[in-house]
Amino acid sequence: MSERRPFHRPQPRYWWAHKPYLAYTLRELTGVAVALYAAILLAGLVCLWRGPQAFDVYRKILASKGSLLVHLVLLAAVLWHVITWFQILPKTMPKLILGGRLVPPRSVTAIALVLAFFCSAGLLVVVIVIGALS
Amino acid sequence: MPDSMRRTKSIELRVLRYRPASDREPAFVSYVVPYSDDMSVLQALQSIKDAQDGSLSFRWSCRMAVCGSCGMMINGEPKLACNTFVRDLAGKAAVIEPLQNFPIERDLVVTVGDFVKKIESIYPYIMPKVAKPIEDGAYLQTPAQMMAYESFSDCINCMLCYAACPQFGANPDFIGPGAMAMLQRYNSDSRDGGRQLRLDQIHGEDGVWACTAVGMCSDVCPKQVDPANAVNQNKTNSALDFFLRAVRPGPRP
Amino acid sequence: MKHVTINRSAPKRSVAPVFWLLFGAGGMLSALFGPALIILTGLMLPHGWGLPASFADFPHVLGFVRHPLGKLVVLAVIALFFWHGAERMFLTLKDMRAGPLPLLRLLTYGVAALLTLVTIALLLAIEF
Repeated sequence: MSERRPFHRPQPRYWWAHKPYLAYTLRELTGVAVALYAAILLAGLVCLWRGPQAFDVYRKILASKGSLLVHLVLLAAVLWHVITWFQILPKTMPKLILGGRLVPPRSVTAIALVLAFFCSAGLLVVVIVIGALS
Repeated sequence: MPDSMRRTKSIELRVLRYRPASDREPAFVSYVVPYSDDMSVLQALQSIKDAQDGSLSFRWSCRMAVCGSCGMMINGEPKLACNTFVRDLAGKAAVIEPLQNFPIERDLVVTVGDFVKKIESIYPYIMPKVAKPIEDGAYLQTPAQMMAYESFSDCINCMLCYAACPQFGANPDFIGPGAMAMLQRYNSDSRDGGRQLRLDQIHGEDGVWACTAVGMCSDVCPKQVDPANAVNQNKTNSALDFFLRAVRPGPRP
Repeated sequence: MKHVTINRSAPKRSVAPVFWLLFGAGGMLSALFGPALIILTGLMLPHGWGLPASFADFPHVLGFVRHPLGKLVVLAVIALFFWHGAERMFLTLKDMRAGPLPLLRLLTYGVAALLTLVTIALLLAIEF
């Protein structure tokens, strides 16, 4: 038997920054956008607790152009989160068999995206209606 | 001879060679190979071995993408050499390397012992829910029941999914997509009763929880097994098992 | 027919399911309602687009947060969004080999736990 000397190739340190893994890294970073938005809400809660003057300062900052830009960027990131989330969703489910046929993952994603649209749109409609009625 | 079989063009193949007896480390060697339109990369490697360098080593068997032997990196992507055609690589030098994330034994041959152990660890056989003597006939299964596990049974153990998985690259003890596909093949089989035993093997840090849903394993699978589904649906199962183990029947976990 | 099953010792159970479920709940909540929430609190309310300007003023927001259901909504959104981000950040930092794992856990899960407690404390401090 000839001598064995298996050669180990170390994983490149920056594998996550190159194709084909960069898309995955960007997908995971949308989670940061979700957390950043929560931080903005938490800041608002702190100002609310501190009182009307502090809350007014918070409102002024939120009305600024900088805040508008930040929220648009967060919205884009969260929309990417929505799409990629429902692409992963079918992978966490067992195989669905309806009427003797396998339900393709694309269908689960499509149905879930429609549901998500109605949830967000529904929330907006409900709040707008409450606003119009008050 | 039909035109598609005439070796009228040439391609340069840069192959990562490694002979442990004489080489300190792997190094690329270039071969210029005449090829025909119908040639696979496997045939190109065989022509190098026949006509240029008989010491070139690589695994192969069926030549038709059912045995899983010829997995390797072709231009940085995990592929079966018998299923990849030279005409699609033409234009510049093609880079051929052994499967990523595995130690190299020699040339394009990688160490597979650990993968075999992982397959063995998840009870890769039916443990019947209801013992049935042969005289009572076969276990019956509807087409729908077979559909539930069929894709996972298509796995040819080619390990392309392990080459694609960066979490396996980071942690060689990760049980990995291929072994999980086999686990799911048995757990979703209506005849099998070994689900809990298998779940107990994959509830650790090196089990399903090392997976971060990159999904590349399913992208590279030549048989559409969808190992990402096998791993990730078992996160759900493992999580339910984690919280419900106090109330499930059987010996205390 | 006798059955022979070789029983292997099971590996040590991971505690990851706890964080995975929090990550999943936060991910689902943010996937279903995240876009609407950002549009509401980041675009519509601050500029009075599509809603009465008074909706964003101190008395209205305080009224919402003082209501028990309002508290529940605020806690669920803030806490679950943080736990979702924490799990993803932990795994990404781990991919990047940014540091020893206990430190990464502290910086992600630890911060999420702290901010969850802060949120609960604030919600209780703002009376019902």
